[in-house]
Amino acid sequence: MTPPRWTELMEEVLIGIKNSALTLILESEDLKALEEVKLQFLGRSGRLTIAIKNIAKLPIQKRPEVGQLANEVKKTIEETITEQELKLKNLESNKRKEQIDITAPGIKPRIGHLHPMTQVLYDVVDVFKGIGFQPCDGPEIETDYYNFEVLNIPKNHPARDTQQTLYLDTRNTKITPGEIILRTQTSAMQGRVMEKANPPLRVIVPGKNFRYEQVDASHGFEFWQVEGFFVDTHVRLTDLFGTIDYVLKKLMGEKTKLKFATTNFPFVEPGVDTYMECSVCKRKGCSFCKQSGWSEIMPAGMIHPNVLKAVGYDPNKFSGFAFAIGLSRLVTLRYQMDDLRLLTNPDLRILEQF
Amino acid sequence: MKAPLSWLKKYVDITLSPKTLGERLTEVGLGTEKIIKEGDDTIFEFEITPNRPDLLSIIGIAREIAALEKTKIKLNEYTIPTPKKKSLSLKLKTDYALFYRWTGICIANIIIKPSPKWLEERLIKVGLRPINNIIDITNYVMFELGIPFHAFDYDQIKGAEMTVLEAKGGESFTTVDEKTYYLPKGAIIIKDKERIIDLAGIKGGLNSGITQNTKNIFLHATVDDPIHIRKTSQALALRSDASAIYERGVDKDGTLKALERAANLVLELTGGEIASEIYDLKTEDFKPWKITLPINKLSMILGIKIPEKEIIDILTYLNLSPKITKWIIEVTIPTYRNDLKIQEDIIEEIARLYGYNNFPKTMPIGEVPTKNPPYFKSYKLEERAKQFLVAGGFSEVYTYSLISEADLNSLGIDSINAIRVDNPVSREYEYLRPTIKSNLIKALYQNKANFNEINLFEIGKVYKGKTVDKAEEYYVLSGISNNKTFYEVKGLLGRMFADLGTDYDPTENIEIIEDGVFFEINFSASLEKMQNKKVFSPIPKYPSITEDVTIIVNQKVKIGDIIQEIKKQSPLIIDVSLLDQFEDSKTFHIIYQHKEKNLTDEEVAKIREKIIKSLKEKFGVKLKE
Repeated sequence: MTPPRWTELMEEVLIGIKNSALTLILESEDLKALEEVKLQFLGRSGRLTIAIKNIAKLPIQKRPEVGQLANEVKKTIEETITEQELKLKNLESNKRKEQIDITAPGIKPRIGHLHPMTQVLYDVVDVFKGIGFQPCDGPEIETDYYNFEVLNIPKNHPARDTQQTLYLDTRNTKITPGEIILRTQTSAMQGRVMEKANPPLRVIVPGKNFRYEQVDASHGFEFWQVEGFFVDTHVRLTDLFGTIDYVLKKLMGEKTKLKFATTNFPFVEPGVDTYMECSVCKRKGCSFCKQSGWSEIMPAGMIHPNVLKAVGYDPNKFSGFAFAIGLSRLVTLRYQMDDLRLLTNPDLRILEQF
Repeated sequence: MKAPLSWLKKYVDITLSPKTLGERLTEVGLGTEKIIKEGDDTIFEFEITPNRPDLLSIIGIAREIAALEKTKIKLNEYTIPTPKKKSLSLKLKTDYALFYRWTGICIANIIIKPSPKWLEERLIKVGLRPINNIIDITNYVMFELGIPFHAFDYDQIKGAEMTVLEAKGGESFTTVDEKTYYLPKGAIIIKDKERIIDLAGIKGGLNSGITQNTKNIFLHATVDDPIHIRKTSQALALRSDASAIYERGVDKDGTLKALERAANLVLELTGGEIASEIYDLKTEDFKPWKITLPINKLSMILGIKIPEKEIIDILTYLNLSPKITKWIIEVTIPTYRNDLKIQEDIIEEIARLYGYNNFPKTMPIGEVPTKNPPYFKSYKLEERAKQFLVAGGFSEVYTYSLISEADLNSLGIDSINAIRVDNPVSREYEYLRPTIKSNLIKALYQNKANFNEINLFEIGKVYKGKTVDKAEEYYVLSGISNNKTFYEVKGLLGRMFADLGTDYDPTENIEIIEDGVFFEINFSASLEKMQNKKVFSPIPKYPSITEDVTIIVNQKVKIGDIIQEIKKQSPLIIDVSLLDQFEDSKTFHIIYQHKEKNLTDEEVAKIREKIIKSLKEKFGVKLKE
């Protein structure tokens, strides 16, 4: 036998190995069989391994050519094994699934639920953050001054009737009765913040308020608001409309229907009230919206010059707008809850829905 | 305030349908609460804002409608005939600090009888009960023109004299509806020669009221000081249609015209005759006032330029007689619009009639503030804490800040140590909670019927202090569980605080209660400690060695102390935990690791010996065989 003949034989052997390996790989029906095939060819004493070792016995000038072929065969076998492995794994995973009833319900993690008020509140904070408003937090035990007087509501002003107040017991103190109250509105924070900071200001104040109010489906003696105010030079009424529109659509959906109306709060002029289409009845009229089809959601207005003066701003230089979102009401409107009292009811059958 | 469409139509032509009219009125500030069809009439029910006393009258509402419809109202003028004989007279002693104006007249020889049907019907439609012609006329004119009236039985005014003064306080007074009140100091009263005959601005007196036998009357309209009326009305918890108008400020120039209207109705409906001059005691002539508004200010605040013609139209139909120059709008304010005082008020008038819903919407321009404002609160840490508790199986609740004395007592707290509300909505909600515990216990019980595993939490305020001058309020993180162990809760909270970047130890804040575990942590204070400054340490290059050591120890010895003692023995001990315990046998899981090299068994054995030696000396432990 002459050397060239031997080389050709070697090539045949390699191709033969490749063919039988591929056949066996593709015929293997499970991962175990595939592993055996792998050993048979690529293992320490596998057929391909031995064949490759034999290349060293070839004349030196023939070795690169055969060596290249051997590498190609090896690569093809390895790739085919990987492909087959993947195929078999999928097959086995499907088989395992077939062994169980996948339509049975999943096992729920034992985690709790975040209150709907919190979920909406965090959305509110987020939306305002996007337009540069920063959140603040202030006291619920408040003075008559910040709750009313600084807001252009002096003592004996008839507007106080619209916010019946809960007064705190001042016995055994030097405080005049009636001076310390539970705040009736988060607007009480306007004076506190403005006194301590200069414009420009973009602030929101989420918080709890208290009123002497008979409890029903749409009123509570404790309720949540998000106060907001914006003070700068050149603030326009159209900015107020634009901000309310932007915020409520972000919170309640782009299709939210709003309308504005004139109203009076002594600390704004012009005064604005915002009504949102009642989500409970879709304007048909229900007990929640007092049959009107609309729900009052966001009273607002341009900050009254008397308020700006009271906190030491020059009303000829600065102007601003303020608003208060009825947060409790916004929550009930978003989830179509027909009673505000559901929000303070700790029944897990309610909480688990959120 | 109720207003029948038929009555409104007497003064203004209305083209809008009731529904559209209601919507438009709401838009311009006259909140339409109800529109009720009643026979062939329609009754509107309006919510009147505190700044608009003029809208507590049919004519005032008609004026608003006229402004919307761009038309003028129709109002008859009346004159009072000069008396043929001044048969009656009164001596009026006023106090201008109490009555800015006092307008009245005596009418003789009236016949008391029911009012005609048209008048009775109108009163019924606005929610009043017809009584007799004189009383009905006073009510009718008040509802028509917004000027409160009162009629006295002239013959009951002792000494034919009336004096206006402040009550000293404590005087007893019986009103026309036969209720007796003890008057607060400062109430405005009218006395005749002997007695109090009127609680001015609120209710007339029984002793001088109109009866079936009344022959002669004194009919008056007054302009009362709003603050006096409001204080008295609040002190007595007695409100009337008149006091509602006075509190907001009655039209000071309206009394004479209204008296002319009322007197004419009296003559027409009772057969009486004028028997005195017109009394009209006043501090000054109450005249319209002017406000000027720069046009550029108007457009700057509104954000749009409203065409000049439109501005003039709006102000004209609001009866504000505008004069406009290149730069300035000047308006003249009728006395019934005492809400219009400053430029911004006029801006609102123009904006509301232009229609808020016709404005474009813009986003604010200008610099976004970069510094945190005072009272800034980051919601991030709170949100993460809440998410953590939710992940730990707790559901969030919001409960009331106000609780009852019984709630306090159930926790062994004396109500003297809690802040009290003077005028609670009910005894159930009288005190500010110094803890959320009672609320959470109640919440747990409420859920027992439907759930076995109940885990609830709240982050909310508590209010501490005995008296309001020492009150302190802060947020607590409070929770309750009926199925988690003390250690599970401790572990959860510990991990939460670690994640939030503080080494706060919640052990002392967790209580074992009858129904499970309760915890309450001063969240405001622990927030301040949250640094959120975590420093990464590289993954160890060398493996750790772990071993379990079981000891026998007196059960009084605290596990925390043993762990501390073990840790103290070598810096190579990186973690110690309790793996298992049964009675006095406890197994600790100890991990040793060196940052720079592999630890040898010999090195670990040395540390272990040291541990055991110190535990023996300190706590007298024995090694378990």
